[in-house]
Amino acid sequence: MADQTERAFQKQFGVTGCFKSKEKKAPGKSGHRFYKQIGLGFKTPKEAIEGHYIDKKCPFTGNVSIRGRILTGYVKSTKMNRTIIVRRDYLHFVKKYGRYEKRHRNISAHISPCFRVREGDSVVIGQCRPLSKTVRFNVLRVTPSGSSAKKGFSSF
Amino acid sequence: MGISRDSLHKRRATGGRKKHWRKKKKYEMGRVPANTKLSTNVAVRTVRVRGGHTKFRALRLDTGNYSWGSEAVTRKVRILDVVYNASNNELVRTQTLVKNAIVQVDATPFKQWYQKHYNVELGAKNQAEIVPKPEEIKGSNHVKRKIKERLQKRKLDSHLAEQFSTGRLFACISSRPGQCGRCDGYILEGKELEFYVKKMQKKKSKAA
Repeated sequence: MADQTERAFQKQFGVTGCFKSKEKKAPGKSGHRFYKQIGLGFKTPKEAIEGHYIDKKCPFTGNVSIRGRILTGYVKSTKMNRTIIVRRDYLHFVKKYGRYEKRHRNISAHISPCFRVREGDSVVIGQCRPLSKTVRFNVLRVTPSGSSAKKGFSSF
Repeated sequence: MGISRDSLHKRRATGGRKKHWRKKKKYEMGRVPANTKLSTNVAVRTVRVRGGHTKFRALRLDTGNYSWGSEAVTRKVRILDVVYNASNNELVRTQTLVKNAIVQVDATPFKQWYQKHYNVELGAKNQAEIVPKPEEIKGSNHVKRKIKERLQKRKLDSHLAEQFSTGRLFACISSRPGQCGRCDGYILEGKELEFYVKKMQKKKSKAA
């Protein structure tokens, strides 16, 4: 099994492989996978339902609920383990000069193994409970961009 | 109180230090860890916590309520040995009971239940599985019928069967002894059991 990389046995909370229950064919291969709808019109990806990864912080197969704010941004960095940095650009109005200035914010968001992201992709993230010191968001949907990764300002 | 759970001592996300601008508060307090040991003189202390509620800090325990998931039976059993801990080998050496530690528990209450339920003796000395014929079942006709039906649906994992012959089952602790004062858990089965057995063998072969 590819997903047992830790020293403790990785499994989904509430799912035991050994119950002699009726054979449910629904979740792809050999059943017994927990997944849920997160609401707000977001579709659960097929990879979450049929995959074999174990991620307790995944919004679809783990123990987090999405509530609060839903934001969009684009992916700045994917170097962390199962988390990404999302950059959100915005314009701030300066009253004295009647002009705008560019500002940006970085948000750390947890990304489930069911998504494949590259830098520059546009991403929708939803607020959840604190998952680590800086992570309070979870990736809900990925819109792959073109080829170039724009590190500069891009408002949309 | 010395142990506090605040974040004021940590650096910011940018890396900058935070200045102490207030004292440590009581609602941020932490307490000394329990480090529940496996021992026959059982000791559980009561702690008054925020809101007036109580936590039961188990300091020494020797029994727990363990359930056999696939058969849906739970029995109070003696804990015999701490065998594996994914976080820290030190906890195995000092026989500390914590959540998600792998322990060995006494198999006799489960054997007795199995005997009563299926009329099959587990872990018997002869290798062949003894499945008694319907005529040998003691009891009324109703009992005989029930046991016959159960024997048809009966499935026993081979790894589990081996463990019954030694009289010790591998179990995983799923309660938090330092919080609730109990050391309850579930018998390991299936993929989980294989996983941990492999881990323990690797450890033994490395130590040898």
